[in-house]
Amino acid sequence: MSLHTQHNQLIGIAALLFLILSLVIAVLPAFEAERTPPLSGIEQLSDEAKRGRVLYLEEGCGYCHTQFVRDLPVDKPYGRGSVPGDYALEVPPLLGTQRTGPDLANVGVRQPSEIWNLIHLYNPRAVVGTSVMPSYPWFFDTKAAADEGDIVVPVPEAFKPDGQAVIAKQEAMDIVRYLQSLKQAEVE
Amino acid sequence: MSQSDQAHSTRAGLEVGTKRLVFAYIVSATAWLVVGTAYGLIAAIKLYWPEAMEYSVLSFGRTRPIHTNVVLLGWSSMALMGVALYVISRSSKTSLYRPGFARAGLILWNICMVLTVITLSVGLTRGPQEYREILTPIMVLYAIGLLCNFYTAYQTIARRKVPEVYVSNWYIMGAFCWLATIVVIGYLPFYQNGMGNIVIQGYFMHNAVGMWFTPMVLGITYYALPRMLGKPIYSYALGVLAFWTAILFYTLIGAHHFIFSPVAWWIQTTAILFSVGMMVPVWAGFGNFFLTARGSWSRVRRDYAIIFLLVGVWGYALSSTQGTIEAFRSANIYWHFTNFTVGHSHLAMYGFVAFCIWGFVYGLIPKITGRGPSQAAIGFHFWLAFLGGSLYVVSISIAGILQGTSWVAGESFIASVDAAAPMWLWRSIGGFMMVFSHIVFLVNLWAMRPLPVPPASEMVEATA
Ligand code: HEM
Ligand code: HEM
Repeated sequence: MSLHTQHNQLIGIAALLFLILSLVIAVLPAFEAERTPPLSGIEQLSDEAKRGRVLYLEEGCGYCHTQFVRDLPVDKPYGRGSVPGDYALEVPPLLGTQRTGPDLANVGVRQPSEIWNLIHLYNPRAVVGTSVMPSYPWFFDTKAAADEGDIVVPVPEAFKPDGQAVIAKQEAMDIVRYLQSLKQAEVE
Repeated sequence: MSQSDQAHSTRAGLEVGTKRLVFAYIVSATAWLVVGTAYGLIAAIKLYWPEAMEYSVLSFGRTRPIHTNVVLLGWSSMALMGVALYVISRSSKTSLYRPGFARAGLILWNICMVLTVITLSVGLTRGPQEYREILTPIMVLYAIGLLCNFYTAYQTIARRKVPEVYVSNWYIMGAFCWLATIVVIGYLPFYQNGMGNIVIQGYFMHNAVGMWFTPMVLGITYYALPRMLGKPIYSYALGVLAFWTAILFYTLIGAHHFIFSPVAWWIQTTAILFSVGMMVPVWAGFGNFFLTARGSWSRVRRDYAIIFLLVGVWGYALSSTQGTIEAFRSANIYWHFTNFTVGHSHLAMYGFVAFCIWGFVYGLIPKITGRGPSQAAIGFHFWLAFLGGSLYVVSISIAGILQGTSWVAGESFIASVDAAAPMWLWRSIGGFMMVFSHIVFLVNLWAMRPLPVPPASEMVEATA
């Protein structure tokens, strides 16, 4: 009965119990999980791809796209089941919890085309008619005529401003390089 | 307001400063509710109509985390902290100790909310780690605000004028300590590379919900429900049992957000087992509230404040039971990654947490300020929120089931988008009703504001 009258003991026990359970179920296993070595086949990201990953975080792509394939028949289209070594180099890893769009863990293999990815980023509906993914026009310039060295994106007429050329900015290229880098490495 | 309620409100006199403070918390929270759910509505509309509002600061990937952080921190947390201060003071039969700390906490949190909206709008984020998006320095400020509040809360309870610590205060004090622990563990970087991060992510997002919002709401309900019904809680012991079992079970089940993931299998299995164990505290809590209300139906029918609270209590039972089912591996195959989860989170954060908060505010605030909106005005809020929320949850859950079925059938991905799209329209309509109801709530809240009081009566001692 003493707990009912001793606020400090009561709260001390409740806090301590929670702390101990937290250490056992989260902190210690996290230390353990962190030590997993990366798969040897994982390539370092290029500078472009690294910047692309930052943009991927900033734009919140991960709220709609997982990078986490379960070892289940339903996930077969996206690649092999993910393993801890896939994520060892990632801070933060981008497994995700929701698939409003498809999984991207292996999209560099499934959809390697630079042109497709650029058009899709400019306006997803130009390549997938009923897509609900946002367009990212702020990663592109539009101008009357392309200059030397501009990367012109062949957006279908119906989806671009009349008579204008759509030019990929560096950000668009960075994101595409990042997407192209997403390839599942061999599990040894 | 009836004669007996009027009498109550004099007996229940709180210090004027405390009244104002509690009210300031609730007003801030409600303002953030309107902002946060407006963001939710924008996100919802975009899923049906992606060309709408094409600005980077309003793109789906930005509005979604703003929505979640603003409603979770700005609305639910601030409102609960405000009501908790009231409950602590009343149940300890003493005025708040150094309310200046709690006031500083409120100011700090409002500053933090503004910073949160600005930073997330421009893409300053720790990445899509749900509810851990907010940058570390801002989170440190939130934590300081939380501790300020905890100081006032704890010291008030320590100076209580009754021998026992009422069970509400067990939950409230516990929740403060647990949230502080969760935030520290979630933000310390030492074990967060690779899969270490995911182990912590499951722990963090689960416990923020289960060891902060849930105990805060339950704790306050142990005070508010008996008070609003004018009779004691059915079983005090059941409340104590639910308290300890919740610590034991809830803490261990974070990994059920990552079933079939590369998180260690024993952690996942533990999470599933104890998700079943959670039925003990859930049904103990629900049963206790339900049995308390039994026999008072004539009173319940006349009072929308109690209706809000009881719908919230039902929301607790339903959403928790649903969550347990979602944790099973067999169900998870169909539902994980789908919108079914979004239905679950709104059934819980709206149908349970928000409805209970509205019950508390309508039930308790008029008792201290001596005035409130008419039953018709409260009823208007209730039906808009109830019908809108139901439409939201039902439509988005159907969307989830359609998505899951489409994936299991092996259709192309876009088929699942097409199947869900009509439901996204219904969700937006429900969401619109919800946002509208929040504006009604803001107006109703204004009708409960404390009267300006002449200085002579500044120190009305707590007596009841
Ligand atoms: C800059 C951030 C984003 C990037 C880089 C990105 C990338 C991609 C890629 C590469 C695909 C094609 C995948 C495949 O064919 O398997 C895709 C599809 C999709 N994404 Fe995104 N996405 C982003 C943000 C979003 C957001 C925020 C949403 C949700 C509102 C979303 C919803 C979808 C949907 C529904 C699809 C399937 C239909 C389609 O192919 O367009 N995406 N995304
Ligand atoms: C108090 C009120 C509310 C609370 C506490 C709340 C809470 C949440 C939470 C926790 C999530 C994350 C869900 C998950 O990851 O599973 C979420 C997502 C969301 N909420 Fe709310 N919500 C509220 C009201 C609303 C309203 C009124 C709308 C308007 C339609 C709305 C629209 C959305 C949308 C569109 C998402 C994103 C779902 C997705 O990614 O597909 N919410 N909300």
